[in-house]
Amino acid sequence: MSTARIVRRLALSAVLGFLFLVGPSSGGVARAQVDSAADAPTDEAAIREAAPDANSAVSADGKAETATDEVDGEPVSWIRRQEKHVDELFGKWLVEPLASVLFFNFWSDQWLLVNEKTGKGVSVPFVVLWLLFGAVFFTLRMGFINVRAFRHALHLVRGDYDDPDDEGEVSHFQALSSALSATVGLGNIAGVAIAVGKGGPGAVFWMIVAGLFGMSSKFTECTLAQMYRRISPDGTISGGPMHYLKEGLSTVGTGGTRTFMQGLGVVLSIMFTIMCIGGSFGGGCAFQVNQSLGALKAQFPDLVEWGWLYGVLMMVAVGVVIIGGIRRIAATAEKVVPTMCAIYLLTALYIVLSNYDKLGAAIETIVLEAFSWESVYGGFLGVMVVGVQRAAFSNEAGIGSAAIAHSAARTDEPIREGIVALLEPFIDTVVVCTMTGLVIVITGAYNNPEYADLIDRNQGAVLTSEAFGHVVRWFPTLLSIAVVLFAYSTLISWSYYGERCWSYLFGDRAGIVYKILFLVFVFLGSVVTATNVLDFSDLMILSMGLPNILGVVLLSGRVRRALDDYWGRYRAGEVTRDR
Amino acid sequence: MVWLPKQSVVVPVDFSDKSFDAVAAALELVEDASHLHVVHVLPSLEPAEPGVIWSTIDDPSRARHAEQAIHERLEEHGLKQAQVAIAFGDPGREIAEYAQKASAELIVLPSHGRTGITRMLIGSVAERVVRLAHCPVLVLRD
Repeated sequence: MSTARIVRRLALSAVLGFLFLVGPSSGGVARAQVDSAADAPTDEAAIREAAPDANSAVSADGKAETATDEVDGEPVSWIRRQEKHVDELFGKWLVEPLASVLFFNFWSDQWLLVNEKTGKGVSVPFVVLWLLFGAVFFTLRMGFINVRAFRHALHLVRGDYDDPDDEGEVSHFQALSSALSATVGLGNIAGVAIAVGKGGPGAVFWMIVAGLFGMSSKFTECTLAQMYRRISPDGTISGGPMHYLKEGLSTVGTGGTRTFMQGLGVVLSIMFTIMCIGGSFGGGCAFQVNQSLGALKAQFPDLVEWGWLYGVLMMVAVGVVIIGGIRRIAATAEKVVPTMCAIYLLTALYIVLSNYDKLGAAIETIVLEAFSWESVYGGFLGVMVVGVQRAAFSNEAGIGSAAIAHSAARTDEPIREGIVALLEPFIDTVVVCTMTGLVIVITGAYNNPEYADLIDRNQGAVLTSEAFGHVVRWFPTLLSIAVVLFAYSTLISWSYYGERCWSYLFGDRAGIVYKILFLVFVFLGSVVTATNVLDFSDLMILSMGLPNILGVVLLSGRVRRALDDYWGRYRAGEVTRDR
Repeated sequence: MVWLPKQSVVVPVDFSDKSFDAVAAALELVEDASHLHVVHVLPSLEPAEPGVIWSTIDDPSRARHAEQAIHERLEEHGLKQAQVAIAFGDPGREIAEYAQKASAELIVLPSHGRTGITRMLIGSVAERVVRLAHCPVLVLRD
C-alpha cells in the first residue's frame, strides 16, 4: 500500500469533514441549550448563577459560560462557536434519536417511584436490566464459576498450562493484557466519578456487585469466542460475538427451530457488529478523547481554547498507527498500561491508607447508601441503575467486545480462556474502580459544593483528579499525563475491535473507510460536550449487550457442558500442567 | 493471443474450492504444472491485533503457514509442481503486480460475484485485476 495514496485519502477526507462541520454554521447559531465550553473549572459560582434552570435542558448540560468566554450565551471566539455548533448537531441528530430507541425505559421515569418534589420517577433503561439479568443468569447457570474458578484462573494466567503447540496467536497472559488495555481506561477514572456524582457513594457498591456477577458473563462470552473462532490458513485468528452468534446459533435445535435460529444468528451478529462499530466510535474513542481532554484542561487552563488542537494531535497519533501501520507505537502504548495502572492503584492505596481513620465511615456510607430508599440520588433503584450502567461501561462484561481479543489466545481448551477472562471484570471493576470510588468518597469530592458543576457537566476525570489532588498535590499533573496514555491505548485497542466488525460486514479491503471514520470521531471527541459524548457512548456500548446476551443465553447450555467436562478432568487431575 | 501452451500462468487462490478448480483449469493451458504460479494475497496485519502487539505473529510466519496450506490443497488436486507465492496488501493490485514480476502471459481467476453493498464499496477482485493487469486475464464464470 503506497504511502502517497494514504496521504491523499487522508487529506481529502479531512477537507471534506471540515467543510461539512463548518459549512452550515455561517448563518448563525440560535439554539443555546447545549454548549461545548465551560470546561475549565473556573468560577463555578458565576456559572451556576448564569444558568438557574440548567437542569431543565434535555440532556442536562445546559450550562452557561464563564464571563470571560461568552457574551449572551454565545462563545466569543470563532473556534468555540464552531465547537458549539458541532456539539448541537451531534446531540440533536445522533444522540436524541438513538436514545429514544436504544435506551427505551418503558416510560418508567413517569410512573416508577415518583419523587414528590421533582415529579420525576426513576428511569430504568431496558438495556441496564438486561445486562444485570445476563450477569446473574450466567452466574447461576455456570454454578458460580466466578468464585470457584478464581484460583485456577491465576494459575492459567501465570502460564502453568501454556502449550506453545496449541493453535492461537498469544498466550493466556498476553490475551488478558490486550483485552485489559481496551477495558482499563477512562471508564475506571472518569466513569466511577460520574457514577458517584450521579448516584452517590452507594453506586460504588452496585458497581462492585455488577463487577462480581459480570465475571460470569465475561467467562461465558469468551469461552464461546474460543469455541467458534476461525483460524485462517495463515495462522491468524478471527473470533468474537459476530462469529459465535452466527455459527453457534446456526446449529441450535432441529427442523423449524433450526431455521429460525439460523436467521436469528445472522440478525444478531449483524446487530452486534453495527453496535460494536458505534461503540468503538463512542466509548472506545470519543469518550476517551473527551474525558482525557477535560482532565488536561483542568490541569493546564491555558489549553481551554485549544481543545480542537488536542483532537487533531490525537488524530495524527492514532492515524500513524492504524493507517500508517507503525506497529511499535501501538505495542509500546499497550505495554505501558499495566505500569500506569500500578502507579494509579498505589497512589489510590496511599490515599486510602493515609486516611485510614475515615475508611470505616466511607465503607459504611457506601453500603448504607446502596440500600437507602430515600436518597437524593433517586433511591435504591436509581443508585443501582447508575452503578450497573457504569460498571458495564467500564468492564464491558456482557458487551462482547473483549471476546474479540480473547479469541486469539493459544489454547485447545476454550474453557481455559473463558476462565482467564473472568479476571478482567475483577481487576477492572472490583479492584481499580473500587479504589477510585474510595478515594472520591474518602476525600468527600462527590458532595463538595465546589465540584457540583463538574458533576453536572459529567466531567468525571476532572473530579477524580481533584479528589487525588486533595491529598497528593502533584498527582493531578501525573494523572493528566497518564490519562492521555490510558485514552490512547484504549483508542488503539478499540479501533481494532471496530475494524474487525467492519471487516466482517464489508470485507478486509474496506478497512480504510472505517479508519477514516474512527479518526473523525477522535476529533469530534475533542469538540463535543462531555454529556453528549457520554450519552452517545453509553448508547452504543451498552446496546452491544442486547444481541450479545440474547445469543449467549441461547448458547449457554453448550458452555455449561464444556465446563462440566473440563472441570471434571481438572478435578480428577487429568488436565496436565505443561511446566 | 495464440493458443499455444503458455510458459507462465498466474492463478490467484483464496482457499475456496472454486479457486482451486481454476488452478486445475489453468493446467490445460500450460505444458507443465511447474509453469503455474499459484498466488495468495494476505490482508495486511492490523497494528492492534494481539499477535502483533506481542510480536508472536508477523508476515514471514503468516506466509509460511499459508504456503504450507496451499501446498496441501494443491497436492489434493494432484498439482504438486505448481509454484506458490504469497503477497500482502490489496488483492487486485498485488495479483497484477505479481503477474508482471513473474512475466505472466495470462492470469486465470474465478469470479465470485459479490453483490449489494460490498460490491458497491469495494468491487470484486476480478474487476480490479482486469483493470490493473498488464497481460490478458481469463475470468472463469460459473
